[in-house]
Amino acid sequence: MSILSFCLLSLLVVSGTDAAKLSLQSPRFTISSSNATQLRAEPISLAQQPAPLTLGLTDVLKLTFQVIEKDEGKGVQPHQTFLRFYDKVSGEEGIQPIRVTPAGKAKFELNMARPPTSLPPTTSSDPLSVSLLLGSFEYSPVQFDMFDIYLPESQPAPQHPDEATFHPLPTIVHTFRAEQKLPPRPISATFAALVLAPWAVLLGLTVKLCRDVAPFTTIYKGWGIVRPPKKLIPSTPLAQA
Amino acid sequence: MIADYAQDITPQSLVTLLEKGSNLLVALPSKKQTIITSLAPEFSLILPPPGTPLVSHFPERDTPVTVVPVTPLSSNPILTPNTPPVWFSGVPFAYGNNPLLVPILNAPAESFAADSGSDSGADAVVEAADKGGEGLWAGSQMGLVAGFQALGGARATWVGGVELFSDEYAQKELPQGVKPGNTQFTSDVAAWTFQESLALRIDNVTHHLVGETGPRETYTINDNVVFTAHISKYNSGKSAWEPYSGITDMQLEFTMLDPHIRTSLPPATGNAGEYSVTFRVPDRHGVFKFIIDYKRKGWTHLQSSTVVPVVPPRHDGYPRFLSAAWPYYIGAISTSIGFVLFSTLWLAGDDREANKKFAKTTKTE
Repeated sequence: MSILSFCLLSLLVVSGTDAAKLSLQSPRFTISSSNATQLRAEPISLAQQPAPLTLGLTDVLKLTFQVIEKDEGKGVQPHQTFLRFYDKVSGEEGIQPIRVTPAGKAKFELNMARPPTSLPPTTSSDPLSVSLLLGSFEYSPVQFDMFDIYLPESQPAPQHPDEATFHPLPTIVHTFRAEQKLPPRPISATFAALVLAPWAVLLGLTVKLCRDVAPFTTIYKGWGIVRPPKKLIPSTPLAQA
Repeated sequence: MIADYAQDITPQSLVTLLEKGSNLLVALPSKKQTIITSLAPEFSLILPPPGTPLVSHFPERDTPVTVVPVTPLSSNPILTPNTPPVWFSGVPFAYGNNPLLVPILNAPAESFAADSGSDSGADAVVEAADKGGEGLWAGSQMGLVAGFQALGGARATWVGGVELFSDEYAQKELPQGVKPGNTQFTSDVAAWTFQESLALRIDNVTHHLVGETGPRETYTINDNVVFTAHISKYNSGKSAWEPYSGITDMQLEFTMLDPHIRTSLPPATGNAGEYSVTFRVPDRHGVFKFIIDYKRKGWTHLQSSTVVPVVPPRHDGYPRFLSAAWPYYIGAISTSIGFVLFSTLWLAGDDREANKKFAKTTKTE
């Protein structure tokens, strides 16, 4: 009998590790602008995420829910009630604890005019996925993926000044002085030919001179005169030169 | 637990050891504050308030909340890919803004640092967020094992608790029912810390003109120069340095006060471990340096600097016989030829005998 009760007790102990589950009752969110007009108010369904939320620079997001034990429905204050903001693209994360009353009621307010320091840096194009982490010593831990939210762009996370040297740096190309420009070769050839022009003049005049003087010279051949020179007429230019 | 250390173990002596090239593997104490706790901020690691170890309710398991299974990232170059989750117990720390830190193991997203033991401590957890300067110690931005690559080449690894290395944790079964990765993880961490993995060195660097083989004393501006570096990686299996061609993003800087040229230094095809690039020396003369400064997280820093003077061209280094000077060449040559020709004609053409005869014949008439 005692052995049987011991076995039953040990079975109970074993099944006791399968602790009771937690759940949320009536989770709701409200987005209102700075002058308290309500922009969007919806209950959050844990089965299907609502459409992504968008917050402007002065909007306020209010989140309310109650943490209850799933089977009995009574309110519970878990040890850990954290809201996790996670940017899937950049990997930045922010954890915000939520104060829960002993009856399990929780309220969280996010005012973009005075954002909490736990928010991660955001970009203008990527949303933050918001999930609720509930952890407790007495109940099974549970994580609820609540919704995606688009927040205004923030300053990027500050970087160490040396951080750039741990990645490839931009390429630097030296701009060289332009190659010495020379005039086109045909022009140089033309002017070289011009330089030789006086030789042409000289040759031409020499030939003319030889032709003009030739009749007035004696032509010798074989120790004898072949043709005597013509007489110079005094009034002609050649005699006067 | 050793609370007091020997006389010669002080934070200053540990830092001196690191400067001289010794590698350190340091585990933080979980309960007491020792000199090690005061040394951690020097490495840009911010510790949580005393008495707040790492706590996680996730995943559901039958160990105390302070014993946490953590999954290492497969993309970390220090660890073997697909290492199973490791058991961890100790303190987390936050990373300061220091690029020399190499995160090895980060805390799970659902974990946090707390000192409460029951659900009634929930309010204390929320108040801790408002108290401390860094806010609530929670999330995957906290580190559990972090490496530090000092500028001198030594490595120091900080672990949040010593129990990670214990046999008990290496044997304890994970909630999923598989064996934990503590053995694999700790041997990877020790291999990295003691310069057995991801350790590189530059064997030698050479430079020469394109077409030559030996280096020159000086280079002239606008020269084409080939720069070569040989790099090895330590192979702990063979306990030897082997040529390594796996670096794809190394850069070479040709610097005189500021980098004038920065190009990539790619691995050369053919020779293992050789990285080579050909470039044109800038048209500024001066004293330049070939600088390699390769720093990447987890790898040894590679630094090399070779000084080389660059001079302007010598008087006969400029281009000669330009096409624009053809008229001048022709002019000079034609002047010389003309002079020679004229001299010949003048000296040879003066016929004295013929003149005398002419004078005689005219006189007799």
